[in-house]
Amino acid sequence: MKRRSGDATTWVLGGATALCIAALVGLLGLLAVAGLEPLWPASVSELQLRDGEVLLGEIVAVEDGAIALRTSEIDRIGEAYRRLSNSEIVARSLPQDAITVTLVDGRRLFGRDRGTSAEALFGSASKPAAVLDSLHPNALGFFARGGVFLRNLGHFLGTSPSSSNLAGGVLPALIGTVVLVLLMSIMVMPLGVATAIFLHQRRGAGVRFVRAAINTLAGVPSIVYGVLGLGLFVHGIGAGIDHLFYADRLPVPTFGSGGLLWAAMTLALLTVPVVVISVEEGLARIPASFRDGSLALGATRDETLWRLLLPAARPALLTGLVFAIARAAGAVAPLMLVGVVKLAPVLPIDGGFPYLHPSRQFMHLGFAVYDAALASSDTIRGVPRAYACAGLLVAVVIALNLSAILLRNRLRERYRSLEN
Amino acid sequence: MPVDPATCDTNLSPDLIQSVARARLRKGRLLALLVYAGTTLVLAGLMAIPFFLMAGLLPWAALSALDWQGLRLLFSGTLRAAACAVLVAVPLGLAVAMFTAHFCAPRLRAWIKPAFEILDAVPTVVLGLIAAATIAPWLKTHVATLLALMVIVPAVLLAAGMAFGARVRNEAWLPLWLLPLLIAVVAVVAAVGARHDAVAIVPSSPWNAALVGLALGFASLPLVFSVAEDALFLVPRAHTQAAFALGATRWQALTSVVMPAAGSGLVAATMLGLSRCFGETMIVLMASGNTAVGGFDPLIGLRSISAELALGMPEAAPASSAYRSLLLAALILLLLTLSLNALAEIVRDRLRRRLSAGARAT
Repeated sequence: MKRRSGDATTWVLGGATALCIAALVGLLGLLAVAGLEPLWPASVSELQLRDGEVLLGEIVAVEDGAIALRTSEIDRIGEAYRRLSNSEIVARSLPQDAITVTLVDGRRLFGRDRGTSAEALFGSASKPAAVLDSLHPNALGFFARGGVFLRNLGHFLGTSPSSSNLAGGVLPALIGTVVLVLLMSIMVMPLGVATAIFLHQRRGAGVRFVRAAINTLAGVPSIVYGVLGLGLFVHGIGAGIDHLFYADRLPVPTFGSGGLLWAAMTLALLTVPVVVISVEEGLARIPASFRDGSLALGATRDETLWRLLLPAARPALLTGLVFAIARAAGAVAPLMLVGVVKLAPVLPIDGGFPYLHPSRQFMHLGFAVYDAALASSDTIRGVPRAYACAGLLVAVVIALNLSAILLRNRLRERYRSLEN
Repeated sequence: MPVDPATCDTNLSPDLIQSVARARLRKGRLLALLVYAGTTLVLAGLMAIPFFLMAGLLPWAALSALDWQGLRLLFSGTLRAAACAVLVAVPLGLAVAMFTAHFCAPRLRAWIKPAFEILDAVPTVVLGLIAAATIAPWLKTHVATLLALMVIVPAVLLAAGMAFGARVRNEAWLPLWLLPLLIAVVAVVAAVGARHDAVAIVPSSPWNAALVGLALGFASLPLVFSVAEDALFLVPRAHTQAAFALGATRWQALTSVVMPAAGSGLVAATMLGLSRCFGETMIVLMASGNTAVGGFDPLIGLRSISAELALGMPEAAPASSAYRSLLLAALILLLLTLSLNALAEIVRDRLRRRLSAGARAT
């Protein structure tokens, strides 16, 4: 009897495993669908209401018994949502000649194309803005919509946001994320590799202490690193630099407020353990025969390390770097304390000397997700936009992680075959 | 200054040889110095955290003037979120770890482990978004369905195991067979739940501890899984084979040999998962509603220490009373997670040493 109940419990374990696999696949699928959907051209519906009114617009949400419709936004973005219960609607259709005009500031206008030009059709819109594009979404086939989708994707990746992050692209956030991560990598790699070498070479109480410190501090919440970054780097070191070198500009802070440099330092501190663990593992996996051969030929220990072991562990360095980048790209909480902003007036890199401006505030893809989902004035636009940003972020982070995992596995295989 | 062997002749002056050797040693010493400097910098940076927090709280005498009542609410919010999350992460994580380490086909295991690494890499802000924008509207009307799923799914699996378990000799690919069954059960329960709104439990806030628990549990699942799986997989194969030789089934070998040997690893996994839940910020910030209310009700909102830090710290003026309160909150969070991590590290270290000693002995 015990045997059977045990076997049955195995099924619960297997079911839990299946559940986790399903959840992960569902998560990635949801992100892929919800992340790309905002860029896919939506159909324009014509609704005839019971009271005789005829509305033209995009259906943006469907609940049971009601729909939300976005009609032409004549004056400002997010003003023209209508919630209609199904009982109000007499007829629905997708007219072939419906036209969607997207303005540069993100407003959408809908109309029926009766041979006149788009501009003439929407002359009624006050505060006219430049037309971004106009198309007949209902008349488009699947592939034509795909073409529009690619154009929208290009626009999303390649332009700046407008209408306080409700429309436009995410280029500044993308640049901010990349520059931040690059700066972080430049700081973390030498430090992490040095620490890994120390742990690899030395023995004794010092090593045990350093290893224990790194292991326990690796689990400290990222927000605590943010507190350190704000209190020590920004208010401590940054304010000190301001007093010494930028006293003429005070009380306007230069380095004494959150900025790219402090954010990069905070992230570097956050990701040091990742690099150390990865590099140390790489060094430890190099077969002892390598080192013995080098020492037998008369190389000193240091020469062996720098000329032989470190080059041999190069893939491990790369793995550590990629893991660190992936971790840093996903860390948002500490950035909220050390200089990420909703809208930065200027990019942290530009054509003016010194090209990289470490004291500037910056935008970040992860923060854009938070901001669009929770802090935007128009949640019907904000949430899809947050999903689009999230999809992009996850695509980047997973691509980085997958490459690091593959690299690490190949490395392990190679060292195993070297040992045999 | 390396010397090309081809130009090396036997009557090199001893001075030259000595100077080359000295240059080599000097270079080595310089590099060693760089290594020391780098390590010191890393250590200083990491050790700065506790010292900085404590120094910011000086003078200690003024501590009693801080907002202890607010801190208590934040602390209880953190505890409530973490408790809900642990209820999701630990049973699931340990179950999957047991399956993967002990029953799973090696080829399936080679897929499951990277899959969890991918899950671990998903930024928590994304999980927070999914919780706040997609799960919250569903959970608002379907708390009863969720509770039903938590009971019915294991019950159905157990029943299926009772019915067919004896016929299935090899459980190695079980998750793939169970996947359709699982999807069918979830779909049926969700459909039935959607029809019976009358029995719905209505939470007082759409953003509540249960929602945070789901998302946070999912976020800490990979950590619990990987630590537990490592511990279970570390148990020498000779132990399980001995159990099989004595007539044990796979399940009996797991419960009577592997689990006692790796038990402390499972405890460590739980502690690390709890520690992760205490400090996680973005999910709590996005899915908890950020209202500071106390109590143990999982269906009301909460405000955690980490969310308070993320929201309040940028606004607080340095050295103000609000700022010092936040530093104190950060210090409490740090001590909480540090002690859990250190404890888990000790437990894991002892386990590793014992198991590797056991592996050498066999």
